[in-house]
Amino acid sequence: MEIPERIVTVEEAYDDLSRRTLSRISGDLARLIYLASTRDYNTGEYRHDGLAARYRAEIASQALELAHRQIFHRIAGYPLDELVREVELYVSSSPQSREEILRVWQKLEPYRVALPVNVNVALAQLLVSNIKLALVILRQGQKPKAMVASAS
Amino acid sequence: MIEFASAIAGAALLLLLTAAVLKGWLASHSLGPGSTANEEDESEPCPEEFVNRVFSRSDWEFVRGLKASGVERLFERERKRVALVWVRQTSAMVRKIMREHAQAARQSKNLEFSTEINIFAQFLMLMGVCGILSTAIQIAGPLSLGGLAHFAQRLSRRLSVLQESLQAGGPANTAEARSA
Repeated sequence: MEIPERIVTVEEAYDDLSRRTLSRISGDLARLIYLASTRDYNTGEYRHDGLAARYRAEIASQALELAHRQIFHRIAGYPLDELVREVELYVSSSPQSREEILRVWQKLEPYRVALPVNVNVALAQLLVSNIKLALVILRQGQKPKAMVASAS
Repeated sequence: MIEFASAIAGAALLLLLTAAVLKGWLASHSLGPGSTANEEDESEPCPEEFVNRVFSRSDWEFVRGLKASGVERLFERERKRVALVWVRQTSAMVRKIMREHAQAARQSKNLEFSTEINIFAQFLMLMGVCGILSTAIQIAGPLSLGGLAHFAQRLSRRLSVLQESLQAGGPANTAEARSA
């Protein structure tokens, strides 16, 4: 008798991705950058070898895209002060120099390619605009009150 | 002499107002800088919270608290740009709905005059609101225009739902159109 192949859903792969990978990354901005980095620049397809080995490549790709969209929507809705904290968390947890990252991000605006495709244009503009503002605020040495309080 | 000066001042004011409205109307129709070609045919609708975020003062209060005039100026410029993208997007979406509706209406055999007038009136009102919003955002920025932006959002959503239900057909839908 033939054993029917277990039906795996995108939700299952998404839960796996959230539990094993995304939960270990600190901050939504870092998660957004990570998920964007799993996307092929030429095809727009998402790839993750570990996830594809546990599920199918197609399911893994869909789960990554779903996670990317969800994180994008969450972070695009952040108030500006929270986004400043996210950017600060991202740059301070990177091995490179904080000042160097802030300078390069302002110049090259790499966060523009970290957005999922076909998202609402106005929402994407809002996030890009808020990140731009956060970079200026952090480069000027300004920090939101909550950040200053937690540091002292 | 005073009457002549008042007339000149009135004419100048009218001219300025007309120029501002025209500028706003053009901005809400054209794809200016900061906009992209897929504002009209993008697949994802704008979430409701967007208007709350862009047109509210909460982020502005945070920026003002930083006491950095450079950041304040950048914030005002950026928010203006984002708000204008939203107005253009809303305006483009409404025009698309109307085009689709006109196309469907041309093929329909049981058009209701009152329903069509109602839809057209809503379309005109929305285009007017988009024009006013566009002008006002360019003059004063988006922070005090939350009420009007919410009104435009509600109206465009209603028009979209109405068009969808009319495309699906059914007598209940035309009743909804009359009451809208």
